[in-house]
Amino acid sequence: MKLQRKVYIAGVGETKFGRHEVDFDVLGRAAAFEALKASNIDRPTMVQSAYVGNGTNGMVVGQTVLKDLGMCGHLPIMTVESACSAGGMAVHLAVRDVAMGLADVAIGIGCENHTLHMAQGTAFATAMSDIETVHGAVMTGKYAMRAQRYMYETGATAEDLAMITVKNRRHATNNPYAWFKGEISVEEVVNSRVVASPLTLQQCCGIADGAGAVVVCSEQMVKKLGIQKPILVAGSVVRSGPYHNRPRDITGDDITEESAHQLYEESGIGPEDVNIVELHDAFTIAELLYYECLGLCPKGEGLKFLRDGNSTHGGKCVVSPRGGMLSYGHPIGASGAAQIAASVKQMRNQCAGYQVDPVPRVAMTHVTGGGLSGTEHAACTMHMLVSDW
Amino acid sequence: MSDQKPNKKPEKKPDITFFHPDLLEVPADGGAPYLKGYRCKGCGQLDFPKLSPCPSCWGEEFEVVPLSRRGKLYSFSDNFIGQAGMKTPYSFGYIDLPENLRIFAQLEGEPGSFRCDEEVELTVGPVRDNRDGVPLISYKFRKA
Repeated sequence: MKLQRKVYIAGVGETKFGRHEVDFDVLGRAAAFEALKASNIDRPTMVQSAYVGNGTNGMVVGQTVLKDLGMCGHLPIMTVESACSAGGMAVHLAVRDVAMGLADVAIGIGCENHTLHMAQGTAFATAMSDIETVHGAVMTGKYAMRAQRYMYETGATAEDLAMITVKNRRHATNNPYAWFKGEISVEEVVNSRVVASPLTLQQCCGIADGAGAVVVCSEQMVKKLGIQKPILVAGSVVRSGPYHNRPRDITGDDITEESAHQLYEESGIGPEDVNIVELHDAFTIAELLYYECLGLCPKGEGLKFLRDGNSTHGGKCVVSPRGGMLSYGHPIGASGAAQIAASVKQMRNQCAGYQVDPVPRVAMTHVTGGGLSGTEHAACTMHMLVSDW
Repeated sequence: MSDQKPNKKPEKKPDITFFHPDLLEVPADGGAPYLKGYRCKGCGQLDFPKLSPCPSCWGEEFEVVPLSRRGKLYSFSDNFIGQAGMKTPYSFGYIDLPENLRIFAQLEGEPGSFRCDEEVELTVGPVRDNRDGVPLISYKFRKA
């Protein structure tokens, strides 16, 4: 969607990710309140529309989150569901409202609590009406098949994949919002227990709880609120996944490739101009494949891009500077919004201990969602953010 | 009279034990089982599973085509953490048939025994328990 007028991010918020004893609404509210205060918004009636992304926590999630901020009754509140893409999609809808002139201030939130509600030792699957789900499909196994094929075709090893975990945990070492962080060796990653061959536990994102929130506003409102470091939303893309029941290359990812292409086209920014990326690194293999799908490197050179240090500090583009999902864990409805929040903080030089140097001017985020049969993913949401001061 | 309840709750129907006769044929005469492809009479597109209307032309009439019983295992995974309620480990994969169709199916055989691009063949067996705790029978593949 080509944005019809300028949209800025005024403020963001995120909670620490991990296992929480408070539910999704408390988490969502904490992130939202932080984002609103960071936007110099001092009363509940200033926000004109709200979207709340969530995957699994039930009905009227949005109102449940915002009621205790005094916001119910003042604005339309809509809950957005698209599995792992929900938080990103919520921000996209807030951006749309501002771009189309329906609102001058809107908020997109993502929040989720899994650990209070989900059976331990089980993996995510889509609805039982799905033909693959009936036959036992789970997201871990579906990504594992991509890894299996990638290793078969390229000769990549388990140790190669493990380097993604090692890198992202290192990035997160001093990030107070990340869950799993710090030094971990390739051997520890490879020797952790097998979840879905060839993926081991330390190559899978943790099942976590958390929230992120993003306040967007018009150019006029950025000035009115006195925002010192406005972030321009240069592009915001949502796509649905094409259906196939025929042989296809699962070491690529059609929906990510198409979304990236659209985002580059609409923002006028190419992959070579992007300083940092938060992408859907739910599993090690995903990050590796997405280097190629996002055009950060040519097709077939993902592993070289990683080995050459191009996706870490000092490289061409720091991928997962917050530590990614492999460090944060992945509360499915929250991650998309939290990625944007973390990227904005990087661009504002607010990440002491895990700050990318030089301070990034262009950031890109990417979340896919849902393992619907016949699609690589049901949904994909991407954003391009640019410092504008 | 008042103790009679005319609106007795209907008995709960037992859950299915055979996954989808539209997709899998197991001949009563003991012949080899096969998957059913659906060729759209409008545009000729062949699909599995059955998609109605045809996603290409919205045709609603189809000819049933028995699909090849052998294919190539494109990729697979042995799952040690599975869906809630499913016994682990279990393996599944994508099987590419000569009809240019890809089938997602469970694999029969030991974890660690499968390889990409090896030949596999259709078989029939339990894929999970149904809601009544009875095995649900469906298509699977094993080494040819």
